[in-house]
Amino acid sequence: MKTITLTPKKFSSIALEFDELIPDKVYDWNKEDFEKYEVPIGNSRFPLTDYFDIEIEGSAEGPEEVKMILDGDMGRVKYIGCKMSAGDILVNGDADLQVGAEMTGGSIKVNGNAESYAGREMKGGSLEIMGNVREYCGTSYIGEWRGMSDGIIKVHGNAGKQLADCMSGGEIYVDGGCDILAGIHMTKGYIEIGGDVTRWPAGQMKNGTVVIKGKLGRLLEGFEVEGIYKNPEIHGKQLTGKYIKYKGDIGVNGKGSLWLNAEKNRDLL
Amino acid sequence: MAYEEPVTDYDKIVENCTCAFCGSNCDDLDYLVKDNRVVAVRHACRLGASKIMEDEDQRLIVPMIRDETGELVETDWDTALDKAAELIANAVRPLFYGWSETSIECMKKGLKLTEYVGAVIDNQATICHGPTVQAVQNVGYPLMTLGEVKNRADMVVYSGSNPMNAHPRHLSRYTMFPRGWFRPRGRYDRTLVTWDPKFSDTAKMSDIWVPFEENGDYEFVNAIRAVLKGKELKKDVIAGIPKEDIIELTEAMKNVEFGALFFGLGLTHTLSKQRNIDIAIQLVQDLNAYTKWVLLPMRGHFNVNGFNIFLSYEMGFPYGVDFCRGYPRYMIGETTTIDLLNRREPDVFMVIAADPGAHFPGGALAHLTNIPVIQIDIHWGPSTELADVVLPGTFIGVETAGTSYRMDSVPIHMKKAIDPPETCREDEWIVNELYERVKKIKEASK
Repeated sequence: MKTITLTPKKFSSIALEFDELIPDKVYDWNKEDFEKYEVPIGNSRFPLTDYFDIEIEGSAEGPEEVKMILDGDMGRVKYIGCKMSAGDILVNGDADLQVGAEMTGGSIKVNGNAESYAGREMKGGSLEIMGNVREYCGTSYIGEWRGMSDGIIKVHGNAGKQLADCMSGGEIYVDGGCDILAGIHMTKGYIEIGGDVTRWPAGQMKNGTVVIKGKLGRLLEGFEVEGIYKNPEIHGKQLTGKYIKYKGDIGVNGKGSLWLNAEKNRDLL
Repeated sequence: MAYEEPVTDYDKIVENCTCAFCGSNCDDLDYLVKDNRVVAVRHACRLGASKIMEDEDQRLIVPMIRDETGELVETDWDTALDKAAELIANAVRPLFYGWSETSIECMKKGLKLTEYVGAVIDNQATICHGPTVQAVQNVGYPLMTLGEVKNRADMVVYSGSNPMNAHPRHLSRYTMFPRGWFRPRGRYDRTLVTWDPKFSDTAKMSDIWVPFEENGDYEFVNAIRAVLKGKELKKDVIAGIPKEDIIELTEAMKNVEFGALFFGLGLTHTLSKQRNIDIAIQLVQDLNAYTKWVLLPMRGHFNVNGFNIFLSYEMGFPYGVDFCRGYPRYMIGETTTIDLLNRREPDVFMVIAADPGAHFPGGALAHLTNIPVIQIDIHWGPSTELADVVLPGTFIGVETAGTSYRMDSVPIHMKKAIDPPETCREDEWIVNELYERVKKIKEASK
């Protein structure tokens, strides 16, 4: 097991890009390699040691034996764990844009908030965010019709606009509330939102499942009631309480299901 | 408005000039020229005419550099260009914004400079029709030319746009009033519909006005799509419109011969942004199961569409392209101007043919006051107050010829009618000169 600890010592308002510092690439690096390494900032590269104190313990045969600890505020460090396939990354602070984007395996835990595009086009592994996420968590690249296709994202705070657009697999759990258009264009997968949702979840969904345990602000006309179920089992999970099941979105001949907590959404009954 | 005598005192008429104001790019203007000045413009709307004639009083004539006391002082071209080139060459996160009011030829030089220094290049789409471009990437572009609308359309819908104020000749030249091949009686053969929460000047002259509530666009269009698929609407009032009216409107839209939907920033910049356009495009796709429908964004500047077409052709991305790692990258919220400025990332900002000082949000402008700003423009504006180096360009379509793209992506050659002031230089020349000088500095430091 190899533990790599990076402790920030200097702040750069121009974001650092960490797409080259993933377990897949650094598992066999020793301290000299890190000291030699220059991190991309804007159109230049600067020594990583200008910005971080580096500590390495143990050794690793492969990326799965690597644990990277980013011990501090990473609010200006983009692409943390981007395209990683194995290993663990722990961020003890906020994470900037694109944390866990296109990851295929391994795990990332952020002990803070994450900026937009967390878990974009994720294909596997797990991403856990203890705080809030901003817009476009688990979404597709602009123009791509396939978003997150596998893996798990857990958000313990709130999620921003257009959570998981074009989702085509995997699972997303949000404990807090969620802004507009969660699961827009989704074709497969599972989204569970614990808190309240402002407007229009699952617009233009073709398939997949969205569960809302809180109060929904506004529902789209493209959804039709299929029935009311008590303690339903959805996606292999047993939910407690009464749920209204909707089918939609009719506009795209969708067969997706949207489940709303009946107690919290009495106005829709 | 007081009656104005027609201008009779002029030396020559330059015919078929192209207007350098909005995205309609009217190319039938006649300039009346006297003593190398345009004294009157025929056929243009008041917006176009006033831009062409009355710009001179705020005109930037000579290069300027801001001195230690904070005042802009006049200087010569060499000093100003060297100063600008030095700022660009030493920058870590340069950002080149604007380009929508200059020619494609100048953009080409700009892209070369951007790629060489590893900067971000972005245009006004980032604060206007950017969401449209994103939606087009997602679901396609059921586009036409304005000539098709003129000759064929019997229903024209304006959504979230007010062409009577912003594109004054759009209705008279392309969509509503002209007599077309299949619409011989012009206005009488067409139905004008406005979807707009405001009772705008366009809504006042429309046959049907649909005042859906603000931010209700997505829900409203979603309901029309559900009706098209045969669903009986459940709610009595959807996004502020009674369901009977939605059904009636849907029937009317199904039963035309050729429909055209035009939309402006009222649709692109409400709550659900690009998803409004996304669903509007899909509505047009649905309507094509019954009859012919097309859609077009009402682009603002005369070459804002040109920049998106040019950059898509050259780089594969329409705007907000970041070359900092040596290859083009494009990510809304990450490589777009406002987000970069709000995050306080750029360390040099070059603005060409745009006025961020007048249009950017306060947070973004606050950062511009902290970093060097280079301005290439033809007239004094709020951005000049922020600028540290001012390089006066020339007026495309009046003083310099160039290529622009109309809102329906038709390329149009813009004529030169008069000579530019002696001390000004063409935008294309300035940008190329910056490239040469930056290259010299970079190569010397290797």
